[in-house]
Amino acid sequence: MNFRRLKNWFTDRYDFSDLVKLAQSKTVPVHSGDFLYYTGGMILFLIGLQFITGMILAFYYVPHPDFAHKSIVEIVTKLHLGWFFRSFHHWGAQLTLLFLFIHLFGTLLVKSYRKPREFIWFTGFILLGILIFFGLSGYLLLWDERALAGVKVATGGVKALPLVGTFLMAFLRGGVDVTGETLTRFYAFHVAVLPLVTLFLIGLHVLLVQYHGMSIPLREEKNNPASIPFFPNVFYHDLIVWLLLLGVTVTLAVFFPPEIGIKADPLAPTPENIKPEWYFLFVFQTLKLFPGEILGLNGEVIAILLIVTAMGLLFLLPLFDKKSSRGEASPLFTWISVGYIAYIVTMTIVGYLS
Amino acid sequence: MKIDYSLITRRRFLNTLFGGWLTAFSAGALYAVGKFAFPTLGKEPDFVVLKAADYMNLAPNTTKLFAWGGKPGIFFRKADGAILAIKGVCTHMECNVTYKPAERKFYCACHQGWFDENGQNIKGPPPKPLEIFVHTIEGDKLIVARKGVKVELPKA
Repeated sequence: MNFRRLKNWFTDRYDFSDLVKLAQSKTVPVHSGDFLYYTGGMILFLIGLQFITGMILAFYYVPHPDFAHKSIVEIVTKLHLGWFFRSFHHWGAQLTLLFLFIHLFGTLLVKSYRKPREFIWFTGFILLGILIFFGLSGYLLLWDERALAGVKVATGGVKALPLVGTFLMAFLRGGVDVTGETLTRFYAFHVAVLPLVTLFLIGLHVLLVQYHGMSIPLREEKNNPASIPFFPNVFYHDLIVWLLLLGVTVTLAVFFPPEIGIKADPLAPTPENIKPEWYFLFVFQTLKLFPGEILGLNGEVIAILLIVTAMGLLFLLPLFDKKSSRGEASPLFTWISVGYIAYIVTMTIVGYLS
Repeated sequence: MKIDYSLITRRRFLNTLFGGWLTAFSAGALYAVGKFAFPTLGKEPDFVVLKAADYMNLAPNTTKLFAWGGKPGIFFRKADGAILAIKGVCTHMECNVTYKPAERKFYCACHQGWFDENGQNIKGPPPKPLEIFVHTIEGDKLIVARKGVKVELPKA
């Protein structure tokens, strides 16, 4: 095969020179916090792997309450390397969310959300919500008793939202309760709706990053750090990081395959010691802090409203942090960020250990 | 950079090493994914085991279907009493055939192909006769096998 001729065939018809120039001119600053730049690429890589493993698992998965559980058992027991692909999909999801949180916390601490990058923060924040919903919807597809109980609690919490709560819960569940209707609906979310929205938002997120260029932390900005070209220097670093990440995911998938519980039965009692997935633990643990009744009002409703408000404020944080937008140090928001991160991390650990 | 006595440049050596590794790695991954996505589960069986009582009492000039993997097998007692186990798949485009007792012929509706009661293609596009299986009876079991296949039953 002659690559040059193939290339000429295309360049005769399409002019790539602008794109090539753009790629060649992309540079990445070098400073003490530049490892954070790689977390975005890692998430992108993991999501790509999730798409591939998800597509092939969908060849065999049957989204029906009578067969869903059985079809997964068959995938892991009968198909060539089926156990591996299922386990990989599970661990890929865990690591995606883990690095999403790291990516978010890093962004928060170095304040790369500040003007003019507010929209990058907004799209990223929405993506976090969507990927958590990805996790929840994928969790239910297993259709074992833990998944059923977990989704009951998670979708039940939505009910506490004012005005839209009841409608939103019914929309998510496809009825009053978590049933087979919820399973098919979550399947549709998981394999059709969410992937499309994710692709669109990732496209927007990455495009905005290219538009603004890489953000430099405030305290490094004054030093005017040097830059290195993205191609090939940073790109090769990316590849190395991805290879390591692939190794970690494969190792976890091989040595710690996720369990498959007893098939879900909507009428059975909730299993003992049930705990949500780790990325819900801080919410779960917060709910436990509140008494059943506060001044005659439902404690859980208040707790959920507080969590939603706190998340809403975090979402809008770039708009409040005026100082860093002007390029000045903004210690108040550093402390707010540290507070958020410390709370989420502590509550997750407490929830995990308790 | 190329040392005088070296056959290739260092860049070429490294590119080949890296490219070769990448090719081998992706080939392995693709093979695993491919084998998962396209398993041989739906492969045709070499033989199937049926209950003899269900099939041996057929009236002359009638048929009874059995599952040959995912395809129909036709158990058939001819008008003269002889028994045939036939793969009920047309040799033209793999449509399922049916037996027409009035004409005493097998018929494929896709492209109007006809086979006689011995499975010979007699009219229409089919290029070959229908596949005939070998059937044997062991106790209460009726074993239908492809010609030339050694049947090894799992030990009960």
